[in-house]
Amino acid sequence: MPGRPDRRSVLAAMAAVPLTGAASACSGDNGASSAGTGRTTRITFWSALRGSQEVVDAFNRTHDKVRVDFQQIPSGGQGGYAKLSNAARAGNAPDVATIEYPQVPGFAIDGVARDITGLVSDSLRRKLLPQALAQTTFEGRVFSVPLDVEPMVMHYRADLFDRYGLQVARTWDEFAEQAATVRRKAADRRLVLFPTDGMTQFAAYAWQAGAQWFDTSEGAWNVSLADAPSRRVARYWQRLIDRDDVFVNAVESRQSDAQIGNGLVLTRLSGAWDAGAQMNARPAQKGQWRIAPLPQWDTGSPSVGTHGGSTFAVTKDSRRPEAAMEFIEWQVTHPDALRARLSSGTSSQYPAAPGLVAVGRKAFDRSYYGGQDIYRLFEQEAEKIGEGWRWGPRMSATQRVMQDSFARVGGGQGSLAASLRTAQEGTMPDLKALGLSTTQHTT
Amino acid sequence: MTTTARARVPADASRTEGPALSASGLRARRAAERRRSGAVIVLMAPFFALLTTIFLIPVGTAVYLSFFSDDQPGLGFGAERTVFVGLRSYAAVLTDPTFLGGLGTVALYCLIYLPLMVVSALVLALLLDSGAVRLRAFAQLGLFLPHAVPGIIAALIWLYLYTPGISPVIDLFARADITIDFLGIHTVVPSIVNIAVWSNLGYNMVVFYAALQAVPREVIEASVVDGAGPVRTALQVKTPLVRASIVMVAIFTLIWALQLFTEPMLLSQSSPMISSRFSPSMYIYDAAFTRNNYGLAAAASVVLLMCTIALSYGVTRFTGRADAEEAR
Repeated sequence: MPGRPDRRSVLAAMAAVPLTGAASACSGDNGASSAGTGRTTRITFWSALRGSQEVVDAFNRTHDKVRVDFQQIPSGGQGGYAKLSNAARAGNAPDVATIEYPQVPGFAIDGVARDITGLVSDSLRRKLLPQALAQTTFEGRVFSVPLDVEPMVMHYRADLFDRYGLQVARTWDEFAEQAATVRRKAADRRLVLFPTDGMTQFAAYAWQAGAQWFDTSEGAWNVSLADAPSRRVARYWQRLIDRDDVFVNAVESRQSDAQIGNGLVLTRLSGAWDAGAQMNARPAQKGQWRIAPLPQWDTGSPSVGTHGGSTFAVTKDSRRPEAAMEFIEWQVTHPDALRARLSSGTSSQYPAAPGLVAVGRKAFDRSYYGGQDIYRLFEQEAEKIGEGWRWGPRMSATQRVMQDSFARVGGGQGSLAASLRTAQEGTMPDLKALGLSTTQHTT
Repeated sequence: MTTTARARVPADASRTEGPALSASGLRARRAAERRRSGAVIVLMAPFFALLTTIFLIPVGTAVYLSFFSDDQPGLGFGAERTVFVGLRSYAAVLTDPTFLGGLGTVALYCLIYLPLMVVSALVLALLLDSGAVRLRAFAQLGLFLPHAVPGIIAALIWLYLYTPGISPVIDLFARADITIDFLGIHTVVPSIVNIAVWSNLGYNMVVFYAALQAVPREVIEASVVDGAGPVRTALQVKTPLVRASIVMVAIFTLIWALQLFTEPMLLSQSSPMISSRFSPSMYIYDAAFTRNNYGLAAAASVVLLMCTIALSYGVTRFTGRADAEEAR
């Protein structure tokens, strides 16, 4: 997400532990005592996820043998990924790095993320949602460990839905009708925003519709950004745009903030994490929002895509991969780690370890959503995540080209379908120059 | 450039003189030559040292990077090995629609910018030279001053003037009921041209003005005596006499324009119409630093360098031939 902080990743695991003061005080003591034993392994950890410091403090407080030195870095699009690449090039990458799902293949190919297949214990493997782990596994080798998995859901203004007599749409057709209804009833309001900086949103729609942008099953990167399901999604949104039934602008913008803040937009389609981000960003709208499943193409076989989510990788430079792995395993599976994140009241991260969902449900403050048990909803939705989706080897570049073209659609030039083809054409030279085996299909 | 044109004459003269010196004391001549070549080596050393370190080595590295790559077979998750990849990176660059689009953008930019810059700088210089302008020193300073503003600052100033909501210019237009979007789909290239003209007009004008000062006064007097008015004198007498400067300014402006980077890079912060691969230089930056694709970036750099050299050579050659014909 060029230009602006990536709220999705930043907020996905945001946390501020009430125990912060106590934690840092204790970790000081802890450091001294473990230094006394002389057998402490120190590892370094980079993350853009806010609140990581508190999680690290909680870890250091309860562990003697491994000690984590944390460094907050800018989010990926803001330079965090460039920093990681350059550090790896210079041979001084941290032991543990934070990488969002779309960037995992790229960092794995560049050799930044180490092959950690042998370090992932069977118990850890069992604790993780298979669809999440599949996103970080290539050719049977694991390159990073999922922290959270974020099914796309529909956040909606219950009060405005009541005012305009709307029911939550179950299908995309109903959703399109509602978009027209909202424009008719309130000329300055729209049902939803089509984000011109939203490749990840569009990917989630396409994923849900059964698209397969990248396929590695035949030993080569088969790229088909404009496959039939994606074109279907493009046609759908193009029609809404052409009829002026939706807003068309960037979501990471002041304009979008105003649309949400002033109640001009009635729904937001984004990952489960966004519930917490919303609480943090607009406390005044408490009680007005609810969350519902994303509309479906076919209610008979429901499916969703994911939007957002992060993973932890051990880098190739790490000289203590076992210790790094111990820290990662604790972060993604230990209840204390999730409690630390959620107690801030600004996160609604949905953990990739289903065993932690109960912890999340208990720790999450439901009052903002009128008492709605959103974790139960997330749990239902997570089960619908479509299998077989793959991100590509140069996702940041694909994203930029697609979004540059989306922005032109917002300016009245081109179409969403053409944007998909442009993104494909802008991706292929990259993959070819990297020497990867590639094929193309636009079925 | 008048100075080089003059310098060429004595150089040619010395070459023809050379053989005539043959018999007069070979030994003395050799000693003199040795001293002279020693001096040449010492005096040229800094030039060659700089040429090597800041031009030849980087270009050599880019060429190397464009032909070799750390490859992993198949999906790319295996072990890396450095291999010779031939023209693969070049094929990728030249089939990349975003790179070709960038070249197209720069071509359009040059088409607008180059004539506009050369013509307006020349017109201003002729006006100053003809004495039609009062407060000449003041006008010159005013026009030259923007050149002293670094490119980034200039882009920031214009970014402020172009951004809706904070720009007083857009505000003024809005009051007159004119909606204007300086960073829209069709206005973005002219907006960048405007920044470049603002920055460089004064500089090029000074170059032309200096050249005009060197035009022999008797030629101008002769034209006045022959009945040419001030406009005719400017266009048909002075302008042809400063042709060398015009060519030089055109080449420098062209080279500068081909490397278009700072202005669009900064403006892209506030206009989605400027993509991350807007110009070839931005493409190279994006390839190296966001796509981590050094082979691609190196190949694109070499292609851009070749285009620049070819165009500069073409311009020099073309005007050189025209000069020769004129001399005949």
